[in-house]
Amino acid sequence: MSLLAQLQLADSAFPGGLYTLSHGLESYAQAGPVDVAALLEDVLLHAAGPGDATALVLAHRAVRRDDWDTVVAVDQRLHAIKLNRELRAAATRTGNQVLRTAATVFATPELLRLVELTGAGATPGNHAVVLGTAYAGLGVAEDGAVTGDLYAFAASWVSAAVRLRRLDFRQAQATLYGAGPAIERAAAAALAARDPLDLYAATPIADTMSCAHERATARLFTT
Amino acid sequence: MHQHAHPAPATHLTTALDRVFKVGVGGPVGSGKTALIEALVPILLRRGHSVGVITNDIYTQEDADHVRRTLDGVLDPARIMGVETGSCPHTAVRDDPSMNLAAGAELLERFGDIDTLLYESGGDNLTLTFSPLLADVYVFVLDTGEGDKMPRKRGPGITDSDLLVINKIDIAPYVRADLDVMARDADRVREGRPVILTDALRGTGLPEVADFITSRRRACSPSA
Repeated sequence: MSLLAQLQLADSAFPGGLYTLSHGLESYAQAGPVDVAALLEDVLLHAAGPGDATALVLAHRAVRRDDWDTVVAVDQRLHAIKLNRELRAAATRTGNQVLRTAATVFATPELLRLVELTGAGATPGNHAVVLGTAYAGLGVAEDGAVTGDLYAFAASWVSAAVRLRRLDFRQAQATLYGAGPAIERAAAAALAARDPLDLYAATPIADTMSCAHERATARLFTT
Repeated sequence: MHQHAHPAPATHLTTALDRVFKVGVGGPVGSGKTALIEALVPILLRRGHSVGVITNDIYTQEDADHVRRTLDGVLDPARIMGVETGSCPHTAVRDDPSMNLAAGAELLERFGDIDTLLYESGGDNLTLTFSPLLADVYVFVLDTGEGDKMPRKRGPGITDSDLLVINKIDIAPYVRADLDVMARDADRVREGRPVILTDALRGTGLPEVADFITSRRRACSPSA
């Protein structure tokens, strides 16, 4: 059953608004030619992996040992390292919506606890922390959880690339499959983290591009 | 794994958004959704309601900006939000309205007095419907410029919406649209559900649209 629950949560059909995000790709596409596969690998290894995926792992472990102070610390640290308003808003909007749906559907005590904490304003409710909490409560092992989440991120990325007309649908699937080694490396790095201070992102150009996106006059995506 | 046979009681998860009356306005590109909202807001304000507007533009913030300009001095621009939909306007109001729900929650957090939220979908096709979690009432807007065959084409937007508005009745003679045919076909395919003919720019039919919304507010929240 934990495998089925994981498949359901990682499925792009699970409502969370991810289809409204390009994860920064739209700004690159508006600026000129872009190597979608190479950029995806960079984002996996330097932002999504050490940031969101690591937060998912640390939140998962903290929930398993009932350490909610650390869950909150991870959530706040992840929020702090997202430098752009757009990226912070997207992570908490998707996170809180997934939380409400997941808490209704799966109704684990862990998810309901996180509903209380976010409702009280004690923690922002980033998407990665919500998923870490959900997976922990549903008995999904952390390695499978983080790999599945990075896959979902990459799938969302190539889907945005198709809508931005930077890949056709076959190139998109080839790019997704080709991202496998980067997903595995990013997952391994996330699993090696031990402390909320291990969370980081180092993508200055992507951050600058996201700044430009906030003021773009025309855009399909929220990020 | 932990397995829970029953979902959590809904009261654990209700928010302010669940208690606000939400109106969805959908329809094809250019049919007059924005104009309808711009005309409705002053009427709703005069009737004592506190309003917020969320527009789903396809590619720009044009609709949100247009509403802000038109309602300048009538509605605080901060009560109007634009939401991007990743080129999936129907998904954003039906299959996965997460970002619209999040935007509504943020508006209510800033303006706790709002009692009516108007959601304008991005222009879409005749199959557009709203999730009942996003909209208590769903208004579908056609216009005469699309041709008088439109009601006959049906589609869930035309047949299943709570109210069908046929807008731009003033230009019907110039686009060779027969209003009688449109109204007759609309009544037939909707099996008696309400249809209102409007000219949103001059205000024709708008009080009737507002009356319908008010009547549904009472039905959806008896204490209102």
